[in-house]
Amino acid sequence: MTSLELRNVSKGFKSGKVLDDVSLSVKAGEIVVVFGPSGTGKTVLLRIVAGVQYPDAGSVAIDGADVTDASPEARGIGMAFQNFALFPHFSTFDNIASPLQARGTPAAKLKDQVAAIARMLKIDHVLGHAPRELSNGQKQRTALARALVAQPKVLLLDDPLRNVDAKLRYEMRLELPRLLRTFNAAVIYVTQDYKEAMALGDHIAVLRGGRIEQWATPASVYREPVSIEVARLFGDPTINLLPCKLEMNGAGGHIGLFGRNVPVSGAYAHAAGRDLIAGLRPEHVLVMENEASDTIPFELDAVMPVNVRSVLYLRGPGGEEMLATVGETEAGKFGRGHRKVWVRFAPESLLLFDAASGQRVAPQLH
Amino acid sequence: MNQTSTLERIIRGVLIALVLVFFLFPIFWILLMSFQNNDQILRIPPSLFFEPTLQNYLALLTGTLKTTAGNLDIAFMRNLGNSLLLSACSVALSLLLGVPAAYAFARYKFRLGENIAFTLLSFRFAPPLLVLLPLSLYFKQLHLTDTYIGLIWVYQLICLPLILWIVRGYFEDISPDIEHAYRIAGHGWWKTFRKIAIPLARPGIAAAGLLAFIFAWNNFVFALILASAAKQPVTVGALAFVTASGIQYGQIAAAIVLSVTPTLLLALYAQRYLVEGLSLGAVKG
Amino acid sequence: MAQLLLDNISKTYRPRGKEPVQAVSRVSLEVKDGEIVALLGSSGCGKTSMLRMIAGFEDVTEGAIRIGGKEIHKLPPAQRDVAMAFEGYSLYPPLKVRENIGFALLRERGASADIEKRVRQIAELLEMTDILDRYPTVISAGQQQRTSLARALIRRAPVSLLDEPMSQLEPQLRAILRARLKDYLIEHKMTTVFVTHDQTEAIALADRIAVMEKGELQQFGTPAEIKQSPSNLFVASFIGEPPMNIFDAAIAAMGDSTAISGLGPNGQPAFHLKAPVATNNGKRVRLGIRPHLIEIGTNGSADATGRVITNHWLGDQSHICFEIGGCSVVGVTDRPIEARPGDALPVRFPLGAVHLFDAESGRALAHGLGQRGH
Repeated sequence: MTSLELRNVSKGFKSGKVLDDVSLSVKAGEIVVVFGPSGTGKTVLLRIVAGVQYPDAGSVAIDGADVTDASPEARGIGMAFQNFALFPHFSTFDNIASPLQARGTPAAKLKDQVAAIARMLKIDHVLGHAPRELSNGQKQRTALARALVAQPKVLLLDDPLRNVDAKLRYEMRLELPRLLRTFNAAVIYVTQDYKEAMALGDHIAVLRGGRIEQWATPASVYREPVSIEVARLFGDPTINLLPCKLEMNGAGGHIGLFGRNVPVSGAYAHAAGRDLIAGLRPEHVLVMENEASDTIPFELDAVMPVNVRSVLYLRGPGGEEMLATVGETEAGKFGRGHRKVWVRFAPESLLLFDAASGQRVAPQLH
Repeated sequence: MNQTSTLERIIRGVLIALVLVFFLFPIFWILLMSFQNNDQILRIPPSLFFEPTLQNYLALLTGTLKTTAGNLDIAFMRNLGNSLLLSACSVALSLLLGVPAAYAFARYKFRLGENIAFTLLSFRFAPPLLVLLPLSLYFKQLHLTDTYIGLIWVYQLICLPLILWIVRGYFEDISPDIEHAYRIAGHGWWKTFRKIAIPLARPGIAAAGLLAFIFAWNNFVFALILASAAKQPVTVGALAFVTASGIQYGQIAAAIVLSVTPTLLLALYAQRYLVEGLSLGAVKG
Repeated sequence: MAQLLLDNISKTYRPRGKEPVQAVSRVSLEVKDGEIVALLGSSGCGKTSMLRMIAGFEDVTEGAIRIGGKEIHKLPPAQRDVAMAFEGYSLYPPLKVRENIGFALLRERGASADIEKRVRQIAELLEMTDILDRYPTVISAGQQQRTSLARALIRRAPVSLLDEPMSQLEPQLRAILRARLKDYLIEHKMTTVFVTHDQTEAIALADRIAVMEKGELQQFGTPAEIKQSPSNLFVASFIGEPPMNIFDAAIAAMGDSTAISGLGPNGQPAFHLKAPVATNNGKRVRLGIRPHLIEIGTNGSADATGRVITNHWLGDQSHICFEIGGCSVVGVTDRPIEARPGDALPVRFPLGAVHLFDAESGRALAHGLGQRGH
């Protein structure tokens, strides 16, 4: 059953349109991640749902009831802010208890509920502290506890992990799905971190320029991005983009990359002759020390280890820049770089985009 | 760096001493004067050594001044009471009006908002005499001349802009998200204003109130023109010492010391708030 | 371009004050000619103080700094042969981006055509050719940061100091700009010291990393050394994303050999690893293993069975969190793993990947336990 529904919401400010005809629905128990670079209207979207801002057009419904014009206190939602927005002059306990107080919960019950959620989030030992005495991680957990304590039907999380350190952010990324599942709320989660989006979302709405550019499951956003921009937003290092042209000959076709003809499937026949951009993810590039069949010579200019793998900075025969990722142990043999290597990639791993529109060219199966 | 420090430290010390002497000497001199009689004060050359006398203070406290020309009644204590009443009431009224207004200016962008705020501030720029002449005419018509209410009203020209601009800076400093969070938790706007906005801006409100109090206390020209002897504050009251038989420098000095002391103590006590409040309000406004 | 030597330097703030702050204590570092060194640590660890001492914005309380053999720590900043990119950018607001970048070269009296060429080159490198004629106030924080970086890099000074050079960059540009920066530094053999709190950036760019904490140097080594043999628990858990799994563990005799038992939250054994450890029975240690070295779902001899808590596929790797006897463990694989929360998975901890640390001091006891290998 749909718990939260936005229909054709638009919002503009003096500086221009921030949200343009956005529709979104979230079921109870579902986590929808609204993902996009900064300044794309993610926060405005949340504020409209929260009732702190009002849309110019469109409507917001919670559990089927229209709340577009309702004031924030009448909506019964929970929200955690990026900057935590704790009440600095209240204790942690009073911070968490504030939604219950507003609902007139009797004192004994209120105490139990606050204690329960604090235990769940492991902040029960700091309930008497003021926010300024808390570590960033504890602040963030307090903010979450405050959002969850009244068991809202709709939960809004505005980049809640942005201001905590990397280690804590990672811990919360693992802990949050389990926590949210127990509350069965309709969750909108806003983030700029694609890994967080993929880890937490049942669905991802990619917001760009005030519009939802893609609505899909995490795996398919990564595998089948609708446009170059979406492809660039997901993946680290960023996808390699190489201009090319598709030519058909008989059942199959080929594109010219690095001075070679790379065969592509006949399912792309409808894009023949157009200017295209081929997207090649760094993890799909195979880098070798020696020449082999079907390899292309590259200059290896720098080796950058990252965690488990290494990123190789390559320059192709025509000076094209390319990034490739290889396993950590494998990277050792390339030293500090500045040497010749040979590269190979599977043609099936290429994503093709229309150069003019930036939209993906999908294979058409007959 | 340790290499240059000795010379640097000496020069720094000398400079600081110079500045201190320049600013503090007049206050020191007034304090000395308040313990001397007119003859000692007027002797040439002036001297730091004299027989201190409490006569000036005694005269102020008892209300009678013995001069060569006979006894003179002075209303200094009454003036002090007036100062207190006028300043306190003005600040209270200004806070009542100014704090909600400051909140509105900080949080809501409305048509002409900036203009209204600036107009209010511009009262501080205009010479008071500019408003005084028409005001004294209106006040006669409205029978407000020589009333406390009338003076408190006029004092709003001093207090309101100060409070408005300083407190506004403080409200702007509070993240709106904190108030949003309280609203979303289920509390109405009035409760949010009382429980979140006011407590968080309290240092600023206190600083602005103090400053407004000091400014009101130090005001001279409004009361001089709009009030008679019975309603006048100390600043105007001190004029009474310019008598037919000469100027009573000793009493003036003692009166100044007495009238400055409360505000000075207040300012010292709240120094930190004042600096903070002023810089916030001034820079951000 | 020159060797940089920090000889036992210390920095104390307010040395005669009520509470002197020891920001850096007795750090010695040798940065070789043309080497890229990262100062890595969380905020307040003293890394920025070190950089500012090298640049000359802070006095050295004790010790000496030498560049190319010459003592420089008493010279004013301008005479030190260093270029610095500031974390706060410190751009000249009345100058265009182009002029900001070329500013330092003007002092060296280069030909203007030559300056123009070098500005263009560095701007292409940092993807900022389109903003060269704009003013610092109208460009984004990321662009300001790149301008500041360009201004420092263009000088090719004997020593370049970069304070958080890439923290504000748009994530999509980060990898490629890092790559070009590293290429540029190596090509021009620039001796570089940069400060960062981001371990990914340190590992990606640096030849060697100095890990700092509480003003003390914890370890100085290549990224591989630091990853494979961290000197203590702090370094082990600071480096790596996801962070290293760390458990309480106890060593016990098992048959003719010894076993290490990972302990759950209540001290009960959660899993056992049979391995020869030359140490006394019952000794408490901390056991660490990096997430990507745990073998998940392998057939054959499993060390334990994990119950899946979360399983996230991030497009190119899986992050799986599972629970073994109350311990929560994170594993990373390059392939997607078909498992839903609640499922049971066989898990193996290769002995070669296990680190042991002293339970009290956190000092490393062993890296890899040999024998069964992997």
